[in-house]
Amino acid sequence: MNSKLLWYIIKRLLLAVATVWLVITVTFFVTRAVPGGPFLSEKATTEAVTAALEAKYGLDKPVFQQYLTYLKDIITELDFGPSLKQRGREVIDIIGDGLKTSAKLGVIAAFSALAVGVVLGAVAALRRNKIIDKVIMVITTAFVSMPSFIMGSLLLVVFAVKLHMLPANGSTAEGLILPIITLSLYPMAYITRLTRSSMLDVLGQDYIRTAKAKGVSGPRIIFGHALKNSLIPVITYFGPMLAYIITGSLVVEQVFAVPGIGRAFVNSITNRDYPLIMGTTIVLATLIVVMNLISDLLYKVVDPRINLE
Amino acid sequence: MKKFLALLLALAMVFCLAACSGGDDTGDANSDNNTTGNEDNGNGDENTGSATGTSSINVSIASEPDTIDPALNSAVDGATMVSHLFAGLAKWAQDENGNLEIVADCATELPEGVVNDDGTVTYTYTLKDGLTWSDGEPLTAQDFVFAWNRAASTELAADYGYMFEVVDGYADIWATDDAGNYVNPDATLNAVAVDDTTIEVTLANAVAYWNELLAFPTYFPVREDVVADESWATDPSTYVSNGAYELTGWEHNSVITLTKNENYHDADAVTMNEINFYLSDDANNMLTNFENGDWLLIDTVPTNEIETLQTEYPDEFFIEGQIGTYYISWNINVNLLPSDSTLTGVEAEEANDDIRNALSLLLDRNYICEEIGQAGQQPASSFVAMGMTDADGSQFYENAGHSDDYIGYFDVSADAYESNYEQAIATLQQYYDYDESTGTFTNVPTITYLYNTDESNQAIAEYVQSAWSAVGINVQLENQEWNTFLNTRKNGDYTVARNGWLADYNDPISFLDMWTTASGNNDTQFGKGDHASIAMYDLDLTPYGYEVNVTDGTWAETYDVLISTIKSCTDDEARYAMMHLAEDMLMTSGCITPIYFYTDIYMLDSSVHGFFANPLGYKYFMYCTIEG
Repeated sequence: MNSKLLWYIIKRLLLAVATVWLVITVTFFVTRAVPGGPFLSEKATTEAVTAALEAKYGLDKPVFQQYLTYLKDIITELDFGPSLKQRGREVIDIIGDGLKTSAKLGVIAAFSALAVGVVLGAVAALRRNKIIDKVIMVITTAFVSMPSFIMGSLLLVVFAVKLHMLPANGSTAEGLILPIITLSLYPMAYITRLTRSSMLDVLGQDYIRTAKAKGVSGPRIIFGHALKNSLIPVITYFGPMLAYIITGSLVVEQVFAVPGIGRAFVNSITNRDYPLIMGTTIVLATLIVVMNLISDLLYKVVDPRINLE
Repeated sequence: MKKFLALLLALAMVFCLAACSGGDDTGDANSDNNTTGNEDNGNGDENTGSATGTSSINVSIASEPDTIDPALNSAVDGATMVSHLFAGLAKWAQDENGNLEIVADCATELPEGVVNDDGTVTYTYTLKDGLTWSDGEPLTAQDFVFAWNRAASTELAADYGYMFEVVDGYADIWATDDAGNYVNPDATLNAVAVDDTTIEVTLANAVAYWNELLAFPTYFPVREDVVADESWATDPSTYVSNGAYELTGWEHNSVITLTKNENYHDADAVTMNEINFYLSDDANNMLTNFENGDWLLIDTVPTNEIETLQTEYPDEFFIEGQIGTYYISWNINVNLLPSDSTLTGVEAEEANDDIRNALSLLLDRNYICEEIGQAGQQPASSFVAMGMTDADGSQFYENAGHSDDYIGYFDVSADAYESNYEQAIATLQQYYDYDESTGTFTNVPTITYLYNTDESNQAIAEYVQSAWSAVGINVQLENQEWNTFLNTRKNGDYTVARNGWLADYNDPISFLDMWTTASGNNDTQFGKGDHASIAMYDLDLTPYGYEVNVTDGTWAETYDVLISTIKSCTDDEARYAMMHLAEDMLMTSGCITPIYFYTDIYMLDSSVHGFFANPLGYKYFMYCTIEG
């Protein structure tokens, strides 16, 4: 059993490496195929300067050769290269800075969403069609359907501009509170709804009825049987959601001026900063692949019947 | 229950993993420094927000600068920061009346140059006594010479390296053979450190704006051992400067903190102890922080809020002139004549010139400025921007064109729009079929207008489309993402495109030398492709003492010659007259359709005193105080 699990993990890891390699390859050639370049600006540099820069960063070589060099640097030295736009900065440092903030934000937001969402979902399911269920459903419907830029702006106006309770920019610890709330509302609402519907489904199952008939106590039924089994869809959702949320939300970063990785990613594309595009893509792809793997493994923990093969 | 605990445990592991992956990537000691800086700034926030008379100011002029290496920077926001951090031989300052002037900074004075026998001009500067870097090391003449050679070098390949074009020796540095190899790898600028405090620099010829160049960031000194580390300008611990401030914090994409440099030679005059440059690229967020009282100056406001803000904050909303022009550029090689036209060569080119100029007259610039721009932009009827001075000290744009009745190449006043319109229709009737009953032209080829994705560009594009469609011209709008757009426009794969230019120094040549055949900014493709062989331009420079008199020459034989003559001309009057001549050529071609002269909008809290900005858009906070 354990060796089977190990074999499964190894297989998935190999697959993950292949996926990341594919992402590297596609991204590398697509970015080079897109018109424009890193050294263009409204005020054009002279051809001599552009040529000198291209030679400096090896962009004068054939694209395939550049690709091989890039792969070699990544594999042998984990060297993502220098940024072409922010001269003097290494891609790895830029990503590190951005990811540090985004991950802090994302992890807090995701886990508060999970905690609140599961509780609210369970409460709603257990009090089905009661007033509390209806209130929860109305609120979560609103949060699920409200885009984060509206939610963010709303929070900004109320807490930063009107009440002066919290700062409007995310460069300080206090300033992260509003972006965290904004980020967590959607997944919180979504998890609430997932938990509710899946719990209702589980509560209708035969084994719950059997447990009730055998006189098992209410809390034991809820926590021991119903809640656990109703979390499978939540886990499916949570893994990738965590990956997306910690790899930065452009909208929230924009609204609150949070120095996260989402902005770095988008700007790198606008600037055609090839090494930074590659670096951020690789990091994001890796995170998503790993999170997916973890959530698959968690199924097994929650429901031993699931066959990973 | 046990299994539920196991589940919680598993989730906790995911949490750790995610947290570690964040931590791992940052990894080094820097991240700790950054965090500390972050908290400090948090405290700073509160202080400036409410307290009065503090000497710390929070401002936001732009997002993360690409670089704050004085030689590499080519952005206005970067230049603002670099101007606080470094001191060159000269600087921008305000006199008692609030007028801007260039004064000596590290130099004791700014002497006149001595003209040598070969026409070159040598300037000798003496540094003030006892100048030091922010780390206490002495600042010497050699540092200046080193910095200049570095900025002009092929190894650095800086965007603004060409700012040294005027210095003797620059051309040798960049000379290449046919294979593109540099022929003089050891060439340097003709600048010498005679001793520790004396710099001798020789210019290829007299340059009217030389003192202004000395105050330009690219000319600021850097120290050889400091810049040996390529990443020196990205971290406070390695950043050594010589100006009013030193870099004490840089939380990337978040805030840059400058603290007064006690080693600066004029430190006593600096009243602001600390400047926090908050880095934001979102105008709405900037505005929220300004309204909040956290940030005392913001350099961008949301376009759609401009009108409201002007009435809401009459004392805090500022519109300043900026030396720049928003214009539409035409690709000279795209033929606008109807498909059955028999005109070719020079005749076709002349017809196209007429057509482009007529289409320009159909645009109501007052409408664009008042209804779309809404930020005090000035309707433009010439290309060289408002704010550029002429030989006699008057405004260059006021002397442009050849009419006694109006300024520029056509009458841009609101009253003249109707007659402009009639004139345009009359011109277009010569080339196209006109349907009198509907007042439209029936056989104008479809024109595609290219612009980069942006609200105000789009609004202007839509206006242009409606103005031309009104006379039956089918206009298609094409918007491209910024970098793609630049590429398309540069390569000349367009018919007509949105364009804009901001000057780097106060001399009209910075608007004119970009249109030479080989210039990287020659978006109109003058002298390229089919236009290379069009011989229809006249150039007579004999009145100015040059033996140049070309009739029916190509663009290269006329415009390129004119620009190089202007660049080597030392007689101001002739030089400016020739620059008007160059603008005449540009405007006759119709390839440049000026729309408006740019303005710089910013909001400044009324508690801030002593703030000023220069015409290039650099903002100065060192002499600010916060009161009330």
